[in-house]
Amino acid sequence: MSTAHAPTSGPVRVEVSGLSKSFGAVAAVSDLGFTVEPASVTGFLGPNGAGKTTTLRMLLGLVRPDAGSATFDGVPYAALPQPVRTVGAVLETAFHPARSGRDHLRVYCRGAGLPVSRADEVLAQVGLADAGRRRAGGYSLGMRQRLALATALLGDPAVLVLDEPANGLDPEGIQWLRGFLRHLAHDQGRTVLVSSHLLSEVEQTVDRVVIVGGGRLVREASMADLRSGADGAGTVLVRSPEAVRLAEVLRTGGAQVDLDGDALTVSGRTTAEIGSRAFAAGVELHELRSHTSGLEEIYFQLTAGREQYAATVPTEEAAR
Amino acid sequence: MTGLVRAEWTKLFTTRVWIGLLLGSCVMVIGFAILLTAFAGNPESGIPAVGTPLYEELAMANAVNVNVLFLILGIIGMTQEYRHRTATPTFLTTPHRGRVVIAKLVAYALAATLFALVVMAVNFTAVAVHAGARGDAPELSADNLGTLGSSGLALVIYAVIGVGLGALLRNQVGAIVGGLVYLFVIEPIIRQIPATSGAYKWMPGGALEALTATFQGPDVLDAWQGGLLLLGYGLVAAVLGTFLAVRRDVA
Repeated sequence: MSTAHAPTSGPVRVEVSGLSKSFGAVAAVSDLGFTVEPASVTGFLGPNGAGKTTTLRMLLGLVRPDAGSATFDGVPYAALPQPVRTVGAVLETAFHPARSGRDHLRVYCRGAGLPVSRADEVLAQVGLADAGRRRAGGYSLGMRQRLALATALLGDPAVLVLDEPANGLDPEGIQWLRGFLRHLAHDQGRTVLVSSHLLSEVEQTVDRVVIVGGGRLVREASMADLRSGADGAGTVLVRSPEAVRLAEVLRTGGAQVDLDGDALTVSGRTTAEIGSRAFAAGVELHELRSHTSGLEEIYFQLTAGREQYAATVPTEEAAR
Repeated sequence: MTGLVRAEWTKLFTTRVWIGLLLGSCVMVIGFAILLTAFAGNPESGIPAVGTPLYEELAMANAVNVNVLFLILGIIGMTQEYRHRTATPTFLTTPHRGRVVIAKLVAYALAATLFALVVMAVNFTAVAVHAGARGDAPELSADNLGTLGSSGLALVIYAVIGVGLGALLRNQVGAIVGGLVYLFVIEPIIRQIPATSGAYKWMPGGALEALTATFQGPDVLDAWQGGLLLLGYGLVAAVLGTFLAVRRDVA
């Protein structure tokens, strides 16, 4: 089976609503809701301890929610007639150390009623064909990630759920994973949900983001919206020989402007709005671009103070 | 369900645990056969002489001494999912976890049947060779076959109990240590103390003695009752384990 085909089960939409889970007195996830659309890669972001893994495990029926629901085209995971043909998941990079990767995959072929030949197909798909007959205990972390991904692909699922899949991959592996996930979503129309605690890690891969902090939804947006600063958090950089006059024009229009020589940093306006204002006022522009490197800043702003385990910065006194 | 049972078989036969347990069982059973036969007829040992029906009954039931290894086989079969964290892909493939437990019970009963046949054959051969050398090799008479068979059945049921115990406790080391302590410490004490020895016949050890009764020990049930009771312990543990432990969150 080549990778250039749509999943056999057709596009599937993931809906999470009102999901809550407490472990003892600790509320891991509180009233969380979001959707994951087909044919796109959705990043599930948040600092460590934000409740990402718990949410994914509830989505997949491994952890029972206290309240709320998580469904695939309206059907909870446990009620799917053939779950692995609808959803593939990468949650764990642990395997029986004495069993080969190929045998590991064959176990789950049998369990899911798939032909055992699928094992070799997915091994080739993730680039593990040569290591398939070796004991999984000898695999590197990167190889384990690939084997976990191969397991998820066995049933040719319409939905892929991946928990921190880039952990342990080398830069080459991360680049491969990015291309692979985009291919699965954009070329094959699959629904891909990938969690990460680093926005920069998935920034180039994802189309949409669901950001959580402290078990609650912080923001659900497309990357385009997040980048353009449509939520007021992004800025636009402008250079003009008439910077002072442009700043006045923009301020009159209600924008917030910082002036530094010939450069302006504008917030609360898109590039298009600024361009048309400048044109109307007859101001010459030398540069006009949205300040995309602010993405990580946006992420930090959004999740600030929501880390479960914030470390205290050691003072100089303590260091002595 | 056939697919799930085959998946469990694939799990079992793609690691080497089964080889170790089967070889260990064979070595142990040969050792016990030699000890039993060497001391047969020795007045101080209390073991009847080679060639007597009582010796042959004891020798045929000898296989039951490796029950602990079959218990461990079942325990490992269930608890490896938690120990090696493969419970996640297993329960993703089969969200109805009770079906996984049932598949394991069936798969390990079948595997244990094969292994038990091997152990029975090894036991009979060892006894026949050694007792033959001492002058009177037992034959495969109906009585001897019956005793041999019930010892094999006991082994299969112990593998089933192992799966059930593993489902209940989930922790591999805990289940194995717990099983050993129960079999070798707690039950012998209960059997010895007059106040509790009456209850012994209703316990797994008593049921096992009933199934493979040889020594004229304490009061026990009929063989078929003992077998059913023993199997019942395994299945009750599996059902309790499914509802109390296996269905818990896999975090």
